[in-house]
Amino acid sequence: MAKMTLDELRKLREEKKKQMTQRDSNDKSAQIIIGMGTCGIAAGAKDAFDAFLDELESHNITDTKISQTGCMGLCFSEPTVEVDVPGMPRVIYGNVDDKVARRIVKEHIIGKSLVSDHIFDKPAVDIIK
Amino acid sequence: MHATLCDMITDLVQNSIEARATEITLEIKENDSNLNVVIADNGKGMDAETLQKARDPFFTDGIKHRHRKVGLGLPFLFQTAEMTEGTASIESEEGVGTTVTFQFDPNHLDLPEFGNLTTAAVTLMTYGYEGNLILKHQIGEKEYSISREELSDALGDLNDTESLLLLRQFIQGNEDELREV
Ligand SMILES: Nc1ncnc2c1ncn2[C@@H]1O[C@H](COP(=O)(O)OP(=O)(O)OP(=O)(O)O)[C@@H](O)[C@H]1O
Ligand code: FES
Ligand SMILES: [Mg+2]
Repeated sequence: MAKMTLDELRKLREEKKKQMTQRDSNDKSAQIIIGMGTCGIAAGAKDAFDAFLDELESHNITDTKISQTGCMGLCFSEPTVEVDVPGMPRVIYGNVDDKVARRIVKEHIIGKSLVSDHIFDKPAVDIIK
Repeated sequence: MHATLCDMITDLVQNSIEARATEITLEIKENDSNLNVVIADNGKGMDAETLQKARDPFFTDGIKHRHRKVGLGLPFLFQTAEMTEGTASIESEEGVGTTVTFQFDPNHLDLPEFGNLTTAAVTLMTYGYEGNLILKHQIGEKEYSISREELSDALGDLNDTESLLLLRQFIQGNEDELREV
């Protein structure tokens, strides 16, 4: 991959931003929070991180936010990932390897249906908000 | 336990973030016979007693992991140094900051593999804290240096997918150039 300068980086970002505002982005963006504590990392949270990025890129989804948190206290089900899609219940998924990460993008973020076999914790709909 | 040195480095930089450092420097220097890493922060530091305990594999501050009494960061570093005839040291002053230094033989058979620095750097740069993080990576005669401040200045919000993709491309480009012959 060719090396970029900071200025080139800034320009690329600005170009992409223009393209984005031209598209009508009326939806609030989805959020992915990855547990990047020691256990998460040992269990492969970075592979999940890269898989999320790759899969979002291949579907041209650029407004999803990916953030990280430290220990979620759920070592036994690491890597743990919280997904918040507007209009859907907030869900915590466990044992998210790269394959599950790709499924979360396709089924949950794009398809708007939960990846039920990896849900660690789904709060009742009425306690959200 | 960590599979790669980059995972270990991630953990050590996270220690600096957890110590509320506003300025963290991660310096990695490599050549054929030496891997030298320095992680310096201006976080809360440790008093002599905590510093002593921090080397103990059965010490963690007791707050972070409610279900686990064992810290994995520093003990893993010291264990790796011992196993591979490398050196590791930690200096810290309460209220001033902490510097962790290690030196490994990249050819030692027991050394964990280096791992993926691009992903480690992208995750650390976007971990979500206010301070600055400077990464310097040198291989032989070539080097590059990037800082979280200049990256957020160029990219704005670092956590949206577009920024993350550009950031990954940017760091990978720098890494590739280091390795070009
Ligand atoms: N850079 C630092 N500044 C201040 N204190 C530190 C620093 N690095 C480590 N410590 C102290 O040493 C303790 C042990 O660190 P270590 O990384 O081994 O475990 P941990 O961070 O508590 O848990 P883990 O890394 O497994 O998530 C920490 O809890 C903290 O009190
Ligand atoms: S990262 Fe596993 S208990 Fe904290
Ligand atoms: Mg730690």
